[in-house]
Amino acid sequence: MTPANPTDAGSKAAGTNPTIPRAARRGRHLLEPPIGASRRSQRALDWFTFFVADVQTGFGPFISVYLTTHQWTQVDIGLVLTAGGLAALAFQMPGGLILDAVRSERRVAAFAMIGISVSALVLALWPIFPAVLGAQILHAAASCVLNPAIAAISLGLVGHAAVGERFGRNARFASIGSGLAAAGMGATGYFPVEPGGLPGHRAIDRSHAHRPRAYPGQPDRSGPGSRRAGTRAHRHHVRCAAHAPDQPLAGDLCRCVGIFQLANAAMLPLMASIVTMRSSTWATTLVAACIVVPQLAVAAISPTVGRWAQRFGRRPILLLGFGAMPVRGLLFMVVTDPQLLVAVQLLDGICAAVFGVLVPLTIADITRDTGRFNLAQGIVGTGIGIGASLSTTLAGLISDRLGSSVAFLGLACIGAAGFLLFWLLMPETAERKDDRKLLPSGRK
Amino acid sequence: MVLDDQEVSGIVGKSVRSNADEDMGRIVDIIVNQDGHVRAAIIDFGGFLGIGTRKIAVDWRVLKFSPAGKPGGITLELTRNQVRVAPEYKRGEPLVVLGPAGPERTTTPSTDAATPER
Repeated sequence: MTPANPTDAGSKAAGTNPTIPRAARRGRHLLEPPIGASRRSQRALDWFTFFVADVQTGFGPFISVYLTTHQWTQVDIGLVLTAGGLAALAFQMPGGLILDAVRSERRVAAFAMIGISVSALVLALWPIFPAVLGAQILHAAASCVLNPAIAAISLGLVGHAAVGERFGRNARFASIGSGLAAAGMGATGYFPVEPGGLPGHRAIDRSHAHRPRAYPGQPDRSGPGSRRAGTRAHRHHVRCAAHAPDQPLAGDLCRCVGIFQLANAAMLPLMASIVTMRSSTWATTLVAACIVVPQLAVAAISPTVGRWAQRFGRRPILLLGFGAMPVRGLLFMVVTDPQLLVAVQLLDGICAAVFGVLVPLTIADITRDTGRFNLAQGIVGTGIGIGASLSTTLAGLISDRLGSSVAFLGLACIGAAGFLLFWLLMPETAERKDDRKLLPSGRK
Repeated sequence: MVLDDQEVSGIVGKSVRSNADEDMGRIVDIIVNQDGHVRAAIIDFGGFLGIGTRKIAVDWRVLKFSPAGKPGGITLELTRNQVRVAPEYKRGEPLVVLGPAGPERTTTPSTDAATPER
């Protein structure tokens, strides 16, 4: 249903978009002219992505710092984070189904935004257990439709032919948004305001006005509970995938990206913890740099990545992203100099840019004729979620028993397995001739 | 019994600073032995926005409450260099407590919290 919806959204937003009968969904790409979305719509989407990323940054690992300042115990914090994580997994596919079914993704995105705002307000005003639990679940549900909705709106706005570049722009603005939010929260955090809650409050309020790069939570988030639910969600996914036989590739992509996340998600927290241990005076700055440097890299290169994906195809770029992962793990294993670690984080930026752009792009490719863009996003999102939540647990276990070097080596091996799996499973999904022909020439 | 909230307060979530006024993280838990005597505080140290923090157990005796000039403040009489290299606190594992003697530490089973360093 997606191809029809983004067109609805797009035609209202862009004004210039020809209305395509919903009945013409199948094979619609044949009817789809190179759509010239208005500058205004493109700009609006830029800023929407920016602010969404901005807000979501406040819901990352920072939540546990915030709740600690409100005298929450570690057990309670672990509980609400796990509940939020489980909800995020469980809502992925229903979120996709809802988006596929509704007429206007924009309206859903607006509701999701309201949900996230309410959740932020509740966290700021009533940091008590039931309220925060509800807020975390509400936030998870809203996020599960918001990010796919942005991708669907993008697709509707510019059409398949130019959406690679559009996803690149999304990744750029999302990354600027979360980078600025992190910088702002870091800056406010430095003013020693007591009693405790204030800096946190302010950061949440600020963020009230975030994304694939949400830094996956701490170990608390992925206790045995989440593993169980992971299996359940996985089974569910297998069922859903079986019900959508027109997109077996979505399942393959889900597995590949899930394994990538299994290698990826724990790497930054593990490395940041090592930086905290190794470096004295500059630790905080270095950890901040390790977070911000990849964001800057994503902001710098993702539009180019989108353009390359349209020019050279998806497969080589994705192979580059999958290939960067084991290299990063091995470098983290051997590099000890903290400054060099920050440089290695550039590889994280490359991975993040490649996946931020190419994952929605590949999903758009493989669901081109099916109208199940959002369901496929949900399936792949579930894979990402399972991989990410198992990653920290796994890396934590290895690192405790065998040391961080072995943990990095293990993550690198998983990354290499992801690379191989992708190499074997996934074909080129772009319709290269079309794309080349339709590539807009007048981009900046 | 009624206590003035100016005189007493909860401790979880309070931030801790060093003698040199560096940020030493926040208290996230308190460790007691089987008699209920407070042995150590767990501080969440380092990192940025919750990423890369390390939970470190510090001896209760190296925490100074309301030090001169800072009523209500908590000072940790250890340096960042001592704290950062300490092994991380893990529930259910032997507890390594950073004691007043500095980086020297004693490992004891967590069932019995910690034994005094000296």
